[in-house]
Amino acid sequence: MPKLLRTTAAWRLSVWTTLAFALGTGLAFVIVYLLVAQTIRERSDAWLSGEAEVLAQVSANTPKDRLYGRIVREVAELATRELPDERNSQGQRVNSVFFLAEHLEGSQSPLWVGPGTEDAFLKAIQGARLGQGTPQSITVEGWPSSFRVVARPVDGRGTVVYLGLSNRADMQVLHNLTLRFLLLWGGTVLMGFLIAYLSARRTLLRVEHMTETVARIGSDDLGKRLRESASRDEISRLAQTFNLMLDRIQSSVIQLRSVTDTVAHDLKSPVTSIRGTLESALSSEPRGNWRDSVGEAIENLDRLLNLLNTTLDLAEAEAGALRLDRTPINLAGVVRQFVDLYQPAMHEQHHELAADLEDHVVVNADLALLSRMVSNLLENELAHLPPGSCVHIRLRSQQGSAQLVIEDNGPGFPPEIAGRAFERFVKGKNSPGHGLGLAFVDAVVKAHGGSVHISDRPAGGAAITLSLPAAVPQPA
Amino acid sequence: MRLLIVEDDVAIRGFLERALSEAGYQVDTAKDAKTGELQALEGIHDAFIIDLGLPDMDGLNLIAKCRAQGSTAPVLILSARRSVDERVKGLEQGGDDYLTKPFALAELLARLRNLLRRSSPAQNDRVRLEAADLRLDLVRHEARRGDLLLQLTPQEFSLLEYLCRNAGRVVTRTMILDHVWRMRIDPATNVVDVHIYRLRSKVDPVGRPPLIHTIRGVGYMLKNA
Repeated sequence: MPKLLRTTAAWRLSVWTTLAFALGTGLAFVIVYLLVAQTIRERSDAWLSGEAEVLAQVSANTPKDRLYGRIVREVAELATRELPDERNSQGQRVNSVFFLAEHLEGSQSPLWVGPGTEDAFLKAIQGARLGQGTPQSITVEGWPSSFRVVARPVDGRGTVVYLGLSNRADMQVLHNLTLRFLLLWGGTVLMGFLIAYLSARRTLLRVEHMTETVARIGSDDLGKRLRESASRDEISRLAQTFNLMLDRIQSSVIQLRSVTDTVAHDLKSPVTSIRGTLESALSSEPRGNWRDSVGEAIENLDRLLNLLNTTLDLAEAEAGALRLDRTPINLAGVVRQFVDLYQPAMHEQHHELAADLEDHVVVNADLALLSRMVSNLLENELAHLPPGSCVHIRLRSQQGSAQLVIEDNGPGFPPEIAGRAFERFVKGKNSPGHGLGLAFVDAVVKAHGGSVHISDRPAGGAAITLSLPAAVPQPA
Repeated sequence: MRLLIVEDDVAIRGFLERALSEAGYQVDTAKDAKTGELQALEGIHDAFIIDLGLPDMDGLNLIAKCRAQGSTAPVLILSARRSVDERVKGLEQGGDDYLTKPFALAELLARLRNLLRRSSPAQNDRVRLEAADLRLDLVRHEARRGDLLLQLTPQEFSLLEYLCRNAGRVVTRTMILDHVWRMRIDPATNVVDVHIYRLRSKVDPVGRPPLIHTIRGVGYMLKNA
């Protein structure tokens, strides 16, 4: 993909890191440079002071005769030779040291040991007003580097010796240091930039790759997944998280599609039958029994409506949008009411409905939802049991929770739906319902913070166990 | 009795107008909140039937406005929204009853009667109910068909009482569950029917004209055949 290098995150990232790195190392170099320069200066200053002392003593102690000048000159020459860098590779002196003695007794001109003539040096020294004993830098006309000069009085009669050392060697050392640093620094920074850029690019290419993959994922093609590398770094975790999210989206889309299909299918048959019934009512003889047809149509419409309502309720419950209007409810009372309500219908099917309810089991629940839940459970039994079965409802309080068990001695859950009985639209092959009843029970129980599971009884038949958190008893 | 229906859906408005007129009410209709408000402020209606989803204003606002203008006539709210929240909100805003679409006409009529009775001061605290040759003594919990004392369970008595109070009118299964068992459930099976069959076998013995009639697709009615 054609893209300006400047707009890539890898570029920006590496530029900024390199900049920070360069600045940091540059600063470190400046500090080192200053320290080195100071050390060098201290060393030459110490040398200067020491030699000046020696020279002053020599000139003070040497008798002021004809040889005086020569002796002092010799000593000064010797001193200048001690310097390591005084001679270049060809063995020539590089004239970096001078010695000057002023106002010598019995001599009008100063004693001079050093490069060229003393005039320019004298002028510079006089102009600089040197303090005594402490070395100081002065610039001498005609010399590129400055001199470090120390003045030392010889005796009380105004004789002063000056010893000077060119900064040229020091400058050379520092200059070399700087040059090498710059070379190294440039190389390192360039290398650092390259490494930073390449690694950032490598990492960000993975992001780019993810972006491209995600961009290709359409609603029709949710099966695509990002490549997950074995490492557990941030980007591979991002990919994993993304894949998990895609899994969830895919499963809800698939679920949604199957729900839509099922609803459409479940709607079609009643609509067809309603239409047919009404049509036949219209086309029957005027005295034909249209009342029955219309009544049947309304009954079918009611069933349709029931399906729609339950689907909506369930969708609401599963989306976590159920608003619970919780009140303390004596579960035994509610269940007993339902047993009374369903008892005749059970008898009509020759079922036996027995209840064994522990009293004072109180839950904080939404009465309307709880009622529909219990009614769904009983409807479920009515719809699935072969005539002459037994249904047993048991309510117990158990370790802070209310346990409601509905057992029967029927055929149990068909194996094909075992484990999925609480999913919506899951129903046995011969089930007359829509497969929503237990899904609703499950959603309501979960909304109340409880759990529900089904099991087969050892003696045959099915058991549905609901567990709801019991209300904390209020102090009387 | 004069009613005002505020409903934007032409089909529902027409059907309500027809059905309520047939039931003996004088009916005015409005197709939006604005005209509804103008008509309501005339103060000539005994009850309002207001749909919540109006094109120009939320039905709840209309109710609040009417209440603010001093209207005290009972309001029956119609709504397609069926959540408990909506119901509570509707009743808090000044509605007196709430019915979700679609509804059984029988239920609408029953609720309307209930509202109108509630708003008129004369309450009927009868101790005796009669329909044809059926007599119910509400104090002694006794029911007689002619001279025959019926052996009814308390539940069967309540059921018969409810049918008797609504003699000549259709009651739906939902209404029966709501009033007799105080349950708001929608069973898909025939739980209510079985109770009615049992009651019928005691109230309508062979040889007597049957009183409890099944109105297919709607519910039941107690009437003299």
